[in-house]
Amino acid sequence: MRRRSLLRALPALSGLPVLPRPAAAASRPLPRTLRFSWAGNAGPLHPHRYAPNQMYAQAMLYEPLVRYMEGGRLAPALATAWEREDDGRGYVFTLRPGLRFTDGAPFDAAAVVANIRALLAQPSRHNWLELVAQIEDVEAVDPGTVRLRLRGPYHPALMELALIRPLRFASPAVLRPDGGVDAPIGTGPWLLAETHPGQHDLFRRNPGYWGEPPALEQVMVRVVSDSNTRALALEAGEIDLVYGTDQLDADTFRRFAADRRFTTAISPPLATRLVALNSARFPTDDPAVRRAIAHGIDRAALVRHVLLDTEPAAGTLFAENFPYTGLGLRAPAFDRAAAVALLEQAGWHLPPGARLRQREGRELVLDLCFTGGDALQKALAEAMQGDLARIGIGARLLGEDSATYLGRQKSGEFGMIFADTWGAPYDPHAFLGSMRQPAHADYQAQRGLPMKDEVDRRIGAVLATTDEEKRAAEYRWLLTTLHEQAVYFPISFLTNKLVHRADLGAVPFGGTRYEIPFDRIRPHG
Amino acid sequence: MTGFALRRLLSLPPLLLAVSFGFFAMLRLGRGDPALDYLRLAQVPPTDAAFAAARAELGLDRPLLAQYGAWLWDALRLDLGTSWFTRRPVAEEIAQFLPATLQLAGTAMLVTLALGIPLGLWAALRRDRWPDHATRLIAFLGVSVPNFWLAFLLVLLFAVTLGWLPAMGREGPASLVLPALATAAMSACVMLRLVRASVLGALGEPHLRFAAARGLPRRTLLGRHVVLNAMLPPLTAMGLHLGELIGGAMVVETVFGWPGLGRWALLAIANRDYPVLQGFVMVLTLVFVLGNLLVDLAYAWLDPRIRLERAA
Repeated sequence: MRRRSLLRALPALSGLPVLPRPAAAASRPLPRTLRFSWAGNAGPLHPHRYAPNQMYAQAMLYEPLVRYMEGGRLAPALATAWEREDDGRGYVFTLRPGLRFTDGAPFDAAAVVANIRALLAQPSRHNWLELVAQIEDVEAVDPGTVRLRLRGPYHPALMELALIRPLRFASPAVLRPDGGVDAPIGTGPWLLAETHPGQHDLFRRNPGYWGEPPALEQVMVRVVSDSNTRALALEAGEIDLVYGTDQLDADTFRRFAADRRFTTAISPPLATRLVALNSARFPTDDPAVRRAIAHGIDRAALVRHVLLDTEPAAGTLFAENFPYTGLGLRAPAFDRAAAVALLEQAGWHLPPGARLRQREGRELVLDLCFTGGDALQKALAEAMQGDLARIGIGARLLGEDSATYLGRQKSGEFGMIFADTWGAPYDPHAFLGSMRQPAHADYQAQRGLPMKDEVDRRIGAVLATTDEEKRAAEYRWLLTTLHEQAVYFPISFLTNKLVHRADLGAVPFGGTRYEIPFDRIRPHG
Repeated sequence: MTGFALRRLLSLPPLLLAVSFGFFAMLRLGRGDPALDYLRLAQVPPTDAAFAAARAELGLDRPLLAQYGAWLWDALRLDLGTSWFTRRPVAEEIAQFLPATLQLAGTAMLVTLALGIPLGLWAALRRDRWPDHATRLIAFLGVSVPNFWLAFLLVLLFAVTLGWLPAMGREGPASLVLPALATAAMSACVMLRLVRASVLGALGEPHLRFAAARGLPRRTLLGRHVVLNAMLPPLTAMGLHLGELIGGAMVVETVFGWPGLGRWALLAIANRDYPVLQGFVMVLTLVFVLGNLLVDLAYAWLDPRIRLERAA
């Protein structure tokens, strides 16, 4: 039997990883320890800090005042209720009573104030987040009530309070005056039991958790940096779950989907995979060229043949499951004849025998920039290059190291460049806010638009207004304008994918890209 | 002999200094600012303020020579800086990950010797017969197959299909088998070919005919006059293999989730973690030079002609 299995596996060895049919994986008794994998260790797990702290792990230990739910709804978490003050500059939060950190310290207004003041003491680390820049003061009204005062009305305040970092809470007993923490102590459903650099992190269930206790006792996160190794480890039964945006390549995901021993699922849209077009640089400074590109690239083919249908096609900057984005906008249909007609009307003609269009002696050639080490971006770029060539547009592919690529986003030295949106809960408000920053690809892409000043002014207004109707109207204008100006070519909506043994039980998706709901996994048996 | 070893050791500091400066300069010749990578990894949007803060935090806002001077001054006190990504001391991380790599490279070296020498000898003694053809085919395949691909094949066969050995991790001796085989495969095959060629050369030496004519038994002939003489080229190759095994471990460690220096360095390359890369290159240089020094000493011990030449 084994020999037959092996023989079946061998012909496929050239295209790794393959999933032979044999027995190894799926018959292990179900444990109370879930074995997961991630590319690196969880890090020191400071609730306010960034790399090397891993967001999925921060979300296991630390909780927000309000929680972001799929579709942009906010739900109570450490705060049971909240109220915006009449001037729009203040929020009063009623804290969940009787909560304790895992070291036994009470979670109260003083703990919230201590954490927020600790991060306000290091503005250079956190000022990228508009809410942190907006916070004027935080005060404990009484042990169960906190008041947050802002410098001005800021509508996305609650959304940004729901972020995994930096506005979550560690026990005040571990906060050091220098801004560090002595130990990772939060209120969440898990606590860090042990960490072995380069090998694994072990999370244990918080026995005093205030919410519904997790069904799993432990989560063991093994360090696996290679996606092929991850697939083989799942196949060999050495990990139980793969979860994330890019933990497996599309081909391997499809193979697992076809294997009845495993369950696979794809989340609702979490962000947008897109290419930004530079409106301030030749030749995409010509709106006709941008519109021709929108008609000339076969998005459906990209999704079907490169992404292997693991992500839905995107026709708009944001998916319609984000707040204020359900506007009924539709992407221009793939239509080469329409693209060619647009270019011809704008004076871009194909000289006899030539493959590239020209106008006034200049060839229609642009730089299409991507991260050289990203195989998926490379494949997408090559397919797009082929489509553009068919309508007479030349695309020079520039695959470079990530810092150079990011440098191009910052300086605007690109014709077209890959630039994903930030995803929930940043989209749409924080992402729109970033469009005003010259360091962003979006700013550079929009810089040549005749209405860029108006766009920036309206983004400021949409973030500040307390009038719901006015806000919705501003979002409509902004998203419609950017859509019509074709400064983005949305490709697909990024999703989380999960694969686990079929007998593991139900594994739900988290509301955001980096929240993995281990506490809601209910193993069978 | 002692003088020779001392001279070699004294040449080490200037070599390390030259390597450190050369590598420091090479890292900074690349395009793009590593502060952007730092922000990308932190998932912090690269606003001008965040970018400036990151450059200041990483010390990139200082002149290059000042950066190198500060690094050198700290390195002289065995402080190799702090990883830009993990925020832990580089020396501490090296101490943490080096043993796993030495274990893997050491085992791979043993596998290289255990497979390469006997098979090479066997092939030479059965020249142009089936053992020779078979081992030559194996050697040809072994040097042609990339070690990461072989690693996946081994996992697929022994972990996924047969379930005999773990697919990844460093938990017990069983977890060492597949990574050591994958790391050693190419070196073992090179060693095999080298031993075969070297033994064939020794077998053709005229003194062997005279020794045979004197009626020396075949075992003595082979042991004293063939194998011992044929070991000098493979010994030289061992020094080169040491660097190759540690370098090759980079990819193999990644495939097997082996918590060693190689995977650590590969991650640092992806993250453009300059202090880690600088520390890694220093360690690699040290291991390479010391490994070759040991080989040279063994060489002199094995071959009296070299000993006498150096003494003279």
